[in-house]
Amino acid sequence: METSNKKAMFFGKVTASVTHEIQNVLAIIKETSGLMEDFILMHKTNQVPDFDSKLDKCLETLKKQAYRGVSLTSNLNGFAHTPDNIQSAIDICETTKKLISITDRLFKQKNVSVEVCECTASCSITTDPVIFQMILFSCIECMIDTFQIQQLMVNIHPKENTIGICFSIGDENFQYPDFKEKIMQSSHWSKITDLCEQINFTAGMTPGSPKIFILVG
Amino acid sequence: MKINILIADDEKEFNETLSQRLEVRDISVTSVYSGKSAVAMAEKIDFDVIILDVLMPEVTGLDALKKIKNTKPLTPIIMLTGAATVENAIQGMKLGAFDFLMKPADIELLMEKIHTAHQFKQAHEERIRKAEIENILQTHGW
Repeated sequence: METSNKKAMFFGKVTASVTHEIQNVLAIIKETSGLMEDFILMHKTNQVPDFDSKLDKCLETLKKQAYRGVSLTSNLNGFAHTPDNIQSAIDICETTKKLISITDRLFKQKNVSVEVCECTASCSITTDPVIFQMILFSCIECMIDTFQIQQLMVNIHPKENTIGICFSIGDENFQYPDFKEKIMQSSHWSKITDLCEQINFTAGMTPGSPKIFILVG
Repeated sequence: MKINILIADDEKEFNETLSQRLEVRDISVTSVYSGKSAVAMAEKIDFDVIILDVLMPEVTGLDALKKIKNTKPLTPIIMLTGAATVENAIQGMKLGAFDFLMKPADIELLMEKIHTAHQFKQAHEERIRKAEIENILQTHGW
């Protein structure tokens, strides 16, 4: 498959997930405002117990969902602009966090929480931003689809001229004796290595521990 | 007697708010937040109507629908989704869903569907009761 088709598929998958999430936000807003309407109508004829606190709770929900909606749409907007330039300077930590925030639902559907560890230093690179995000997404999918895990950690380590992005399983006590073999057999792995080759990144595995990593730069 | 329904939706706040809106309309609601819990709850309690979200982690709404239909074939199930594609609707109906609604659903439309589903279940149960009585009468030659 051509890279442009792969990029379109990736965009479709991410957009479908985030718009589903936005629809959920709107559904909550609609039901909450409807519930407020119900309470107000009931209050006109009958005394509704704890009327004020019920309305306060509804307002709190509306505010929370409005913030959630704003965050989702601004991250989606940023994502939609990534193909504007074939090459652009990107902050690895920020891009990783934003990508995870809009794809979170896809991982939650598989009962996995993905966490990005706080970056200690600024990590910028000039590269193809779409392929970079496709690599990140494929690495997460690779770990989740290959192993029955509940938590995945993403660590970003800048070191001299190289930046390492490491994907590890949250449960460090769990043993994966055939980790490397299973990863190599996964259809995601060949996709990751192909994509890395296109932008001169390196994909690898840490010997002795269940981690995959991407070396940038 | 109040209509007794089960709602399964992993979007907690949506589930809770919808439950409250149905409760103020005199519906008795049990809420669960996964397909797995929906299947378990439906086995324990005989609900008048079940509302299932299509996209839930692990056991999806369509998986739960299949499982519940095996144990409680008479219970009408309404599928609710934020991603109502034609394929989802067709698959759900093929698997025996009573109806399909897109999120955010109009509360009055949902109420209408709940009442229709409940009446359908009652009529179906009544037909089964009559058939059983007729069978007993015939067996005994009365």
